[in-house]
Amino acid sequence: MSSQRQASSASQVPHLSPAELSYLYTSLSLPKNPIRPDGRSPTQFRPLSAETTILPGTNGSARIGFADGTQAIVGVKAEVEKTVLAADTLDSRSLAQHGDALNREGEEGSAAVSGQGEWVQMSIEIPGFRDDDALPVFLSEMMRESLVGSVAGGNEDGVKEMAGGLKGRLVINKRWHWRLYIDVLLLSQPLAYPLPLLSLTTHLALLSTKLPKLKSTGEEDPFFDDDWAAAEYLYPRSNTSKSSPSAAPSYPVRPPVTLLVISVGENVIFDPNREEIAVADAVLAISLTRSSDSEALKLLSIRSIDPPSRLTQPGIPNSENVNMLGATAAPGEESGGQEEVEGVWRPRRGGVKRSVIARMVKTVLGKGGVGEEVLEGLEGVEVQ
Amino acid sequence: MAITILPPVVEDAHPYEADSDDPMSEEDVETGISRPHKRPRLQGKSNIGTGIVTPGEVVTDDPQWMRGHGTYMNPLSTSIVATVAGKVQKTNKLLSVHPLRARYTPEIGDLVVGRIVEVQSRRWKVDVAAPLLAQLPLSAINLPGGILRRRTSADELQIRTFFSEGDLVVAEVQSVHQDGSASLHTRSLKYGKLRNGVFLAVTGTGGSAASGSTVKGGVGAGNSASGSSLAAPGGSGTGGVVRSRRQVWTVSASNGGGEVNIVLGVNGYIFISKNSEGADAASSTTENVSITRMEEMVSSSIYSSQNDDIPPQTRREIARLAQCIRVLVQNGVRVDEDTVTHAYNASLQVDLEIGDDEDEEDEWRQEGREYLEGAKAQEILELVKQQL
Repeated sequence: MSSQRQASSASQVPHLSPAELSYLYTSLSLPKNPIRPDGRSPTQFRPLSAETTILPGTNGSARIGFADGTQAIVGVKAEVEKTVLAADTLDSRSLAQHGDALNREGEEGSAAVSGQGEWVQMSIEIPGFRDDDALPVFLSEMMRESLVGSVAGGNEDGVKEMAGGLKGRLVINKRWHWRLYIDVLLLSQPLAYPLPLLSLTTHLALLSTKLPKLKSTGEEDPFFDDDWAAAEYLYPRSNTSKSSPSAAPSYPVRPPVTLLVISVGENVIFDPNREEIAVADAVLAISLTRSSDSEALKLLSIRSIDPPSRLTQPGIPNSENVNMLGATAAPGEESGGQEEVEGVWRPRRGGVKRSVIARMVKTVLGKGGVGEEVLEGLEGVEVQ
Repeated sequence: MAITILPPVVEDAHPYEADSDDPMSEEDVETGISRPHKRPRLQGKSNIGTGIVTPGEVVTDDPQWMRGHGTYMNPLSTSIVATVAGKVQKTNKLLSVHPLRARYTPEIGDLVVGRIVEVQSRRWKVDVAAPLLAQLPLSAINLPGGILRRRTSADELQIRTFFSEGDLVVAEVQSVHQDGSASLHTRSLKYGKLRNGVFLAVTGTGGSAASGSTVKGGVGAGNSASGSSLAAPGGSGTGGVVRSRRQVWTVSASNGGGEVNIVLGVNGYIFISKNSEGADAASSTTENVSITRMEEMVSSSIYSSQNDDIPPQTRREIARLAQCIRVLVQNGVRVDEDTVTHAYNASLQVDLEIGDDEDEEDEWRQEGREYLEGAKAQEILELVKQQL
């Protein structure tokens, strides 16, 4: 089993027989009311247990465990770093502008205000994978991208710390900035595509991240308050939490959450397990966050993930099975194998209807939708 | 309702005293990770048999004990060292460590569910959750075509049409080799390719030690449900499939589910499927069919990979049964015909009770009600434990 699980986790395709795949697909694509193998409703998540601030040596940390035993730990560490403007701008900008000194001057100014995406580093460790394997690299880039890209227009609320999103928050002054290391550690074998678990854990860890309070002002070399109790949260909270500590704090700006959504037939299914992903028509990773000015959720990105169902083995209908009694039928009509036969698995060829994608996004973002519930659920987790 | 986030469960059973004035221990309690700083060795007579030992840990220094399974004794010393992680068991003066998790050790006559992982020239390699892959020779299956016949080179060439990679088979262990690997056979009407249902792999202890201890402990002996640690009725501590009288049976499911077959492989692999009418008819008519005719009838469907038409009600009940088994396994209750039947009935009962309570609830809440592994799991467990 171990060799098999290793192989299947590497390719993320569990070895399923065509009969099982067909059974799963038909169950999940039943119109209106899919039957999931574990009895959940399409939008139901597996119950999870969460806690924050578990690692004393980090700026912020969190742990989330699913009931099936998969667990992830995320630690966030921050480090003061000197902003090397010229080199960084040269690296990140196109080399065509490289000769133009004036142009560079202008960019230096903007970089110092807005911060840079590479100040956030994310590394993901998944057991059984090298850290340069495709899966960890892809996952970390997918999560980092939405994290860095979520620029919240928080000016109206007076949250000027988050003016430039997370990147802007990391700027100390023109010459100094914070560098954020986010280390994601999956403690168990990836029983399913681990993206939702890792994303939720990262979200909680970032919410609990504190940075020491800055004492220096302006363009001085940064100098910090020794008192850890005075430290400020990376993601600032509104003051309501201080007056009534029992109430859950509200965040004007929140880190993004990435949810995994699959479509099977006309149905849209959340938090799929490995078997469900194996028969999916389309697998999407949807990143969202709450924009500060309105209560509505904001879609940050949608990425499609290669559905493993197209690599599966097709089933053989009884009419073509040489071991069946009907084997005497002329085997010349092989072309007939292309059409769908009830109860026989055909590998999905990809492609998903526009209306299905629209419904996925609507279910995530809509009022009272899944996205809101997930964010509310995460708010409920006590962050010390 | 879409997402439930629970606070972490703190294990209240601390095997070792934590210093109350140590700030680290408070941290430990908060995080739920019990981490003894220095694990005291189990020494003397009274301490043996409590708690869990890890590989390399000295179980005892006392020379009066004999070493049993799962232990090792350095020839130069008298101390017995554990080689597996598990519970210490004493039988008179024999000290053995029963592993928390073990792979399945095949024994002749076991009914197993396996998955084909490799097709070789005259045999298949089958994953049966044992340390080594089992083999299923081409000569040990029922060849189609009616009569019992010699395998031919044509059969060898079209070996993939019988079983191919990924297929699930139910088979019997025919022989066990010197290295512990098994040879399987499917020369019976009961065996062959599986379809029309779902597969689930549970953490079965499966091995002979587990089933032996279950028999020894007896059902429900010394079973006190204390707190969250619901020990297995047999006292083995871990759930899983054990060898029992019946590994395959049929449940007549409620809610219009029809007949559902359950195959409990001794190796911890389980298949739950709709009872197909064809096989039923064949088995009911076997009495008045000769041996050779019988082969003919069965071979018509034994290598099919096409599912029958399964109504949604049956699918729902199959999912419910699968969940019941998962609930049992997650809570360390052994899985056999009795416990599964009790759990299934209990789940129906719990649903009835909740249905009475929440009749006026909105449609949204109704949707997630089929999920049993969350809050309902404890109720089901309690009901099962009452019946045992």
